[in-house]
Amino acid sequence: MNPDTAEALDTLAGEFVLGVLSPEQHAAVTERLGTDPYLRAAVDAWEARLLELTALAAARPPSARLWGRIQRSLSELATPSVKWWQRLGLWQALSTAGLAASVLLTFMLLTTPPPTTQFVVVLVAPSSQAPGWVVQTSDSRMIELIPLGKDAVPEGMALQFWTKGEQWRAPVSLGLVKPGEPYRVPLQSLPPLEANQLFELTLEKSGGSPTGLPTGPVKFIGRAVKVI
Amino acid sequence: MNSPVTDFDFDRCLKACAQGDRRALQALYDHEGARLLGVARRIARDDATAEDIVHDAFIRIWTRAASFDPARGSARGWIYSITRHLALNTIRDTRREAVLDDAHLDISTALHGELDDIDLWSGSAKIYRCLEQLQPAPQRCILHAYVDGCSHAEIAGLLGAPLGTVKAWIKRSLKALRECLE
Repeated sequence: MNPDTAEALDTLAGEFVLGVLSPEQHAAVTERLGTDPYLRAAVDAWEARLLELTALAAARPPSARLWGRIQRSLSELATPSVKWWQRLGLWQALSTAGLAASVLLTFMLLTTPPPTTQFVVVLVAPSSQAPGWVVQTSDSRMIELIPLGKDAVPEGMALQFWTKGEQWRAPVSLGLVKPGEPYRVPLQSLPPLEANQLFELTLEKSGGSPTGLPTGPVKFIGRAVKVI
Repeated sequence: MNSPVTDFDFDRCLKACAQGDRRALQALYDHEGARLLGVARRIARDDATAEDIVHDAFIRIWTRAASFDPARGSARGWIYSITRHLALNTIRDTRREAVLDDAHLDISTALHGELDDIDLWSGSAKIYRCLEQLQPAPQRCILHAYVDGCSHAEIAGLLGAPLGTVKAWIKRSLKALRECLE
């Protein structure tokens, strides 16, 4: 590697560890870390160089509740579960969901034709196939999740919104959703929407999934359908 | 001011966690929880969010303990990196939707009074001596970024400096720090 490139790489690694990269740059570096041993070594070196600066943040005693919360989450993790996108039943349910989507899509197109919408997703409950939410793109930068009813969410739990493109390795969280309330998500940080992209809402603890991946039961699920 | 801790065997703790020993995680929590919460709190600027971050950090430490590679760095560093990056990710997600002016206002309020901490350091680590060699403004850029989780724009707002200048200060400071620490 020539010196210029090495220095630019080292600066990038330092900015990553400081936390000053834009969300897009940050995501790009995170992805590169899996495949670029030079960048990884540079990041590790900066983590070690700056570590002692953490002492500048004054310690704060945690509330009495925090360890109990951690223990409960550990107990939930201990229960083995099959990841939702590996379950056959869901994929069977999705084909029915596709049918429901086309019916509702026809209805939507006939009643309120939105000229700029490119994709529509109908999210249905896996058990009953009842449509619960609709996702639509009003432009290429924003998607909108619209409730068709109000779901009862148990106390201390929340609905978390996820998506997964066909080529992605794992779903990505789009945030926590309030039952019965529309929700808008900027899409800058994700690749462009694609046909057949999976969207779903899972029931998670109120702060969202602790692992960054869906852990709770799927409440609603559906795939993106392109609107011509 | 917290002094670096030497009497806790972080390596052994992670090995025990990897083998499913919950007492090891609890020992880590008892020993390091308050300091990790302090780090998360400075970045998140909110008590409840900071506790959420430390919760997620301990779950991640537990589930990924087996993947810790001592060849890549210290066990203590690994634990702090997990916590800091979870905190940075949290504020990155929240700030994406925040209006820039509001963010400036919030941060000026949130950071008021904490800045003085920077003058009080008694850290013995070499990084402090290297930081002292930087000019005051670039030094504050590094500390606001690392300790307070500030973005370029927030630092520019705090220091009353143009965004491009802040970016350049940080790049140059990183180079100077690397050379000083070599």
